Amino acid sequence: MQEKKAQLIAIVGAAGVVDDPQVDESFLLDHEARLSMEPHFLVRPGNVEEVQEIVQWANQTLTPLVPVSSGGPHLRGDSLPTAPESVLVDLSGMKQILKIDRRNRLALIQPGVTYSQLQPELQKEGLRVVTPLLPRANKSVIASLLEREPVMSPKYQWNLLEPLRSLEIVWGNGDKLYSGSGVFRGEKEEDWQKGMVPLLGSGPGQLDFYKFVSAARGSMGIVTWASVKCEVYSESRKLFFVPAEKLDDLIDFTYQLLKFRFGDELFILNNTGLAYVLGGTAEEIESLKNVLPAWTVIVGITGGQILAREKISAQENDIQDTARQFELKLMSEIRDCHSAELLEILLKPSREPYWKLRYKGGAQEIFFLTTLDRTPGYVDTMFTAASRHQYPAEDIGIYLQPVHQGTGCHCEFILPFRRANGHESGRLQDLFSNAALSLFRQGAYFSRPYGTWADMVYNADAGTLMAMQKVKDIFDPNHVMNPGKLCF
Amino acid sequence: MTLPKHVYQAFEDVVGAVNISDDPAVLDSYRYSLAHTAIHLGPFYNTYTPRGAAVLLPGSAKEVQAIVKLCNKYRIKFKASSTFWSAQGYPSEEDTIQLDMRRMDRILELDEKNMFAVVEPGVIGATLQAEAMKVGLNTHIPGSGCSCSVLASATSYFGSGPSNLYGGCYYDNLLGLEWVMPTGEILRTGSVNSTGSWFCGEGPGPSMKGVARGFLGAKGSMGVFTKCAIKLFAWPGPKTLPVEGVIPAYKVSLPETFRAYTLAFPSWKAWADAAHLIWDTGIGYLAHRQFNMFGRDLKFAMVKILTDPTKTLGDLEEVLADPEVQRITKQSERDFQIILVGMTARDIAWQDAALDEILNRTDGWKVEAMNVPEIHDWVLLYLIRLGHKNLNLVFSGGYDGAFGLLGAMDYGAAHAEEAAQFKKTWEKRGAIVDAGGDCMMGPIGGQGGGGTGLWENFTCFDPHDRESVEGTLEFFDACTKLGLEKGWGVGMEKWNSVARGSDGRTTPKAERDRMHLSAPQPSVFRYQHKIREAFNPNDLGDAYYETLEDE
Repeated sequence: MQEKKAQLIAIVGAAGVVDDPQVDESFLLDHEARLSMEPHFLVRPGNVEEVQEIVQWANQTLTPLVPVSSGGPHLRGDSLPTAPESVLVDLSGMKQILKIDRRNRLALIQPGVTYSQLQPELQKEGLRVVTPLLPRANKSVIASLLEREPVMSPKYQWNLLEPLRSLEIVWGNGDKLYSGSGVFRGEKEEDWQKGMVPLLGSGPGQLDFYKFVSAARGSMGIVTWASVKCEVYSESRKLFFVPAEKLDDLIDFTYQLLKFRFGDELFILNNTGLAYVLGGTAEEIESLKNVLPAWTVIVGITGGQILAREKISAQENDIQDTARQFELKLMSEIRDCHSAELLEILLKPSREPYWKLRYKGGAQEIFFLTTLDRTPGYVDTMFTAASRHQYPAEDIGIYLQPVHQGTGCHCEFILPFRRANGHESGRLQDLFSNAALSLFRQGAYFSRPYGTWADMVYNADAGTLMAMQKVKDIFDPNHVMNPGKLCF
Repeated sequence: MTLPKHVYQAFEDVVGAVNISDDPAVLDSYRYSLAHTAIHLGPFYNTYTPRGAAVLLPGSAKEVQAIVKLCNKYRIKFKASSTFWSAQGYPSEEDTIQLDMRRMDRILELDEKNMFAVVEPGVIGATLQAEAMKVGLNTHIPGSGCSCSVLASATSYFGSGPSNLYGGCYYDNLLGLEWVMPTGEILRTGSVNSTGSWFCGEGPGPSMKGVARGFLGAKGSMGVFTKCAIKLFAWPGPKTLPVEGVIPAYKVSLPETFRAYTLAFPSWKAWADAAHLIWDTGIGYLAHRQFNMFGRDLKFAMVKILTDPTKTLGDLEEVLADPEVQRITKQSERDFQIILVGMTARDIAWQDAALDEILNRTDGWKVEAMNVPEIHDWVLLYLIRLGHKNLNLVFSGGYDGAFGLLGAMDYGAAHAEEAAQFKKTWEKRGAIVDAGGDCMMGPIGGQGGGGTGLWENFTCFDPHDRESVEGTLEFFDACTKLGLEKGWGVGMEKWNSVARGSDGRTTPKAERDRMHLSAPQPSVFRYQHKIREAFNPNDLGDAYYETLEDE
């Protein structure tokens, strides 16, 4: 132990090594039935060279590494060591915004950069990055994008990894590689001026390197910077509600908006989900749940930098017409909730406490990809499972987020619970396991298979499992990167 | 080589006697002349790709799998091709089994709501587009044109084209895929394994689609793709394209919500500024610098000829002599085409107004002569269908691209004129068509939403004339030298010389290694080598999959 500690101190200095780090209680929100381990050390590298040295050291000593970029609470257990003698690699200190390039709408950022840090800086340059629904203020932008967390604006996702572009990757074998066009990383200002910039995500060459670290949860390597595509910031924005009592009534309307790429933010919440977003306290949430419409499409329109008002007006009218076509109403206010209030909330990271935890202090998520037309069937399944496990259906927050310009849809169930209540936690754990299995059997695609979902998914997909193991052996031959996750 | 009888019989047992041949006459029809259009390799006179050992036409993934397993058993290299665009689709090693995928030509699914189609290798862009339009959708058509295989472009090559801007390039649009890997095992990526639906190609977890293709595909060197799902996008036009006109002046009249403009600018800086503003504003359905492939000096004259059924190429000099043609040619030196498509009347009105404002801010203009109905409607059909690929060869029967500056708009725009003037000096030597030096064409937006561009400098030559072919090769060598001197890197005129040499065969290993070691990141090719060892242990592809062994 002491020898290892000395070796790590030699790499990052004494201040960069923490003995016996206490795993934040929030890690324990992951209520999956699997063994977790206390890490031996936490190490804080300050640059890519130190990251490389740490990984090389891990290969020499066969020490498991668990990269962590975001602050807590961690809900999914991916930062929780599942191998003994692990070392947490805390990247939150690498938080430089290396470059904001207005012309090419790119931001080059380190893994510790959070949404709350990045958005104000982008705004100064007339840019913004599309975000997930209410990310934690301390959520690493890179971690979120690597995890393929869905973003609120599907129209900007020409592929599922958007807006992630080039990366600097330290693989599990200690090699450094620039993916995409990251070799043009603009170390000199004149390179940016010349247009030698990391604009591309794919490649280079005939492999798509960034796809190997995507949704890998640190099991392939560590990303030390990324270029992120940005959108134009505009003060001119409007948000609307399109409510309905039945989810089915909103599906075709949403498809039509997706097809025409009308709207910027575009997603669906049930009354409980919207209450979790809007409510600041459990009491507020309780009262909102009872008055909000059963289902609401949230659609935002952004003006842009040219003829902003005209664009908003045209789209507002077109969306209005589309709503009428489906016998729906486009509204600026529902049950005392004005859309401007919601817009204000959506444009920033989540207030504290984190929105999914606000109601009962704890929450379990079940999420997967599907297509929008199949979501009503999954909602039925979830409610049936909840009833079977005596979980209150009215507490289930539901978030449906079209992705990849509408080709797919992220379907998420948020299940709040009181962590202190052992009986409630146990019941929820049973519901969580059984509902996930039922949904999987129904065709839900657990594309990001956290925890116990991994066995369920990879047992049904031997081809992918075999390919992943071959790739893992190439990039992390000693399996030092976050062992125990996925199928590794 | 003739396959041993028992080996031939084993293959015949898989596909049936009518779907296999080793007749030399048939095999020679599956060879490619490198004097014609080698695509980024350099034309070589009287050189053909090697003759295959046999050609097979499989009818299913199961048959492909059986063939690949036999190839492993007998250690025979194989290469599949669907629509055989360029030398890349042909083997570079002797005695290769050639798979002609044309029998597998079904559109297996067209999901109107979720906007994707599942296709087999033989489905071409035109077919998928025609079927998609019936349900209000459209497909991206790659630069190789609508007669090329959708799957081949999406899985195995590049997949860029005029509709990148709104529709996304094939890199973006490739969802799930079915891949008979070089060992004969089948990998399906993404959602299909869990759900039976192809809507997502990524995951579960890290995406193994990244093994199948990166920025480029493996060009037929790493197994065979037998199905893929392709994302589609909105088509607010008629269910069928109402094509009219007399050959070659086919055109299409579309609703009021469609516009086809040629925009021109006073400087390359203004040209790039306009591209950025178009991307930032989010307007446009297609954007391409298209007709400049005929050359800065010839493009408007060619458009006049191609939109007038009474004219032929023989009228070119007469048309060029027209002062009005000369005026418009001068007016449109730094131009590109853009098609606006409104999803509604309000949408097109806003896009139109936004475009006018962009032109106002960049001092650009619409080339009004391109907006007369017979040209406007011809441009619409040309760019939406991309079915005029014969025109790549119209001047003299052969062409290839040079320079190929690829990346941020400012990078290309800074060097385009220098590259154009360099070519102009070579045009005067007589081996290549004298078209004005600037024959740069390429997408205004190399990927969905824009952000990058590509400048391919079309170089037309006569493949049946030794002097023309050899003079073109000399020009390409000079381009490469210039690109290296200027720091632009090796241009597209030599991109594939790393795989195939002047004899049509695999580039010698020492030469390949030298090129790979001089790349900005040689480790990319080292990792590709490791992937090849893991996924293609018997090395049954060719050098189009680029590898470098560890030192």
